[in-house]
Amino acid sequence: MTTISVKVEFSGGLELLFSNQRAHTVELPAINAVTSKEPNLQYLIEFLRDNLLKERVELFVENGTVRPGILVLVNDTDWELEGEGE
Amino acid sequence: MSTSCGNPETETGALMLRRPKFDKSKQCVRCKEKTGNIVIRHAVYCKECFSTLISVKFRRALDPTVNPLPDGPRRKGLKAGGDLLIGFSGGLGSTVLLDLMYRTYFSFHDAPIDLTTGKPRGGKDHPRNLLVWSRGSVCYVEPCNAFPGMKDRTEHIRAIVEQYEDLTFIPLRIEDAFSRDWWDSVGGKHISDNLGIDLTNEDLLLSSISNEGNEGYSKSPVQQLQKYIFSLPTQTAILSTVQTLTRILLLHTASAIGSSHLLLGTSLTSLSISLISSISQGGGFVVREEGKEEWVPPRSVTQMKTNGHENGNIRVVRPLQDIGMKECAMWAWWHGLNVVGREKFPGGKQSIGQLTKDFIVGLERDYPSTVSTIARTCSKLAPKHGTDGICLFCQRPAQYGLQDWRAQTAIRSFKSITSYRPPHFPERDTTDVPTSPSPPSLTPFLCYHCHTTLTSRSSRGTTAVSVSKDDPTPMPLWVTSSSAASTVSSTVRVATQDPYSGEEIWNRKKMDVEQMKATVAEFLFE
Repeated sequence: MTTISVKVEFSGGLELLFSNQRAHTVELPAINAVTSKEPNLQYLIEFLRDNLLKERVELFVENGTVRPGILVLVNDTDWELEGEGE
Repeated sequence: MSTSCGNPETETGALMLRRPKFDKSKQCVRCKEKTGNIVIRHAVYCKECFSTLISVKFRRALDPTVNPLPDGPRRKGLKAGGDLLIGFSGGLGSTVLLDLMYRTYFSFHDAPIDLTTGKPRGGKDHPRNLLVWSRGSVCYVEPCNAFPGMKDRTEHIRAIVEQYEDLTFIPLRIEDAFSRDWWDSVGGKHISDNLGIDLTNEDLLLSSISNEGNEGYSKSPVQQLQKYIFSLPTQTAILSTVQTLTRILLLHTASAIGSSHLLLGTSLTSLSISLISSISQGGGFVVREEGKEEWVPPRSVTQMKTNGHENGNIRVVRPLQDIGMKECAMWAWWHGLNVVGREKFPGGKQSIGQLTKDFIVGLERDYPSTVSTIARTCSKLAPKHGTDGICLFCQRPAQYGLQDWRAQTAIRSFKSITSYRPPHFPERDTTDVPTSPSPPSLTPFLCYHCHTTLTSRSSRGTTAVSVSKDDPTPMPLWVTSSSAASTVSSTVRVATQDPYSGEEIWNRKKMDVEQMKATVAEFLFE
């Protein structure tokens, strides 16, 4: 199964929820087995919650998306310009 | 796209499109050349234009407050009357403020050189080549001793501040509010009687706790602080008090080192939170002071250094108040700033401050323009009536006629009603009941917000661990030392005769300043 390698960096205290480690490299499946589509940011958020998050889930995810106050950048660009979770 | 209200599962065009988070296109609205990197309130900016925008907003908020007097018709150079103190909490706003301040006003400026003379153009004294503030200091107040188990982050903060050369680090601790050593170091006048208050009584009766028989006499500042914190009735009161203690510690420190300006890293988001939170706790009268204020050092403090301002006034400025939390976060990320973060106070989740923060931060994500509307609307507010003086505790204006208003309020604690009797009760004959002297009260010298902080009761029960009228709660030293407090504690003994025993009964009553002057008038020189 082919995978997509994604580098994820946390900052501003968020790294404390992920083993106090600022940078992580995750391998995502090229095709989502459930939706048969390429993974999007929503999938990545759920993947991080299920596999990397060590404590306090409610501080990272709320109502299916990142908690208010957490900014998401995709290649140094605001995710609001890239269609957010989709 | 379908224009009918069809079934989204069968008609692909029936699903409503998501509202776009930005207007027009992804191009930067400023330079119109590069692709944007960030959306701020529906406007798109590239990285370079964003940095310029933040710098301009920062200077626009700060520059008009620098000079002691407003500029005349001809624009003069910027030169502050005294030094600068930056309040640093370790949070996002403080970190960005420190970085912006250093880049703009303290980092080495290459003065343009005159090619013919080889010297700086305009001479070395040209305003362009002078630093706006001669000296800058960064002050951090460590709150860990207010909450057992909290980590001390002073050294982390010191490491951050030391990255900025030419800025002096001044560490304080929140228990300094009860420390005579600290009070002496900032020019505080000698305190003969340390006063405590009875938090079981709405009148906040004052009593002296500086005698050897009283438990409060030998307590260290940490113990006094913890007794004070644990005596407060609600979580909201605890958080509000910590903020007030921190602010007053910063102000006194600024005065002691000759600073003309105290800068705080309150962002637009934080400002909106503090405005709504303060109004919710009864601080609506000082809503303007939440944005900007000019603090006058009280007479209980000897001015140790001049700062170029009348009466040694200190301008409290929040230069980031037009810059939102998102913008601060992007600045910190793009400039590689290390944000230590602020420690979350234990048990504060249900406090008004935390609930307000959760609400405003959520609002900012979905309706970003609303947050700036809060701050803009509050800046237009002005109190209807005048002030009745300065609150002893928070050192902000207290509203006029508060005592009369409170006396007319229907919802009161029954314990606090000492003179009222229900109409169906017969009048009690009081001629044979000896009157006891009434202790002085702190209530008339507090604003509504501070009085509510000390006396409010939560429907969920009190957080106060142990409060007893026989063990008064210590007060911060600026409350004890102020001239009003000494007026409160001044007493006159009036002798009357007990009609039954013929013995003299000493009755104490409070005198105001005019009465005291009248008493000693014949001994005063003209």
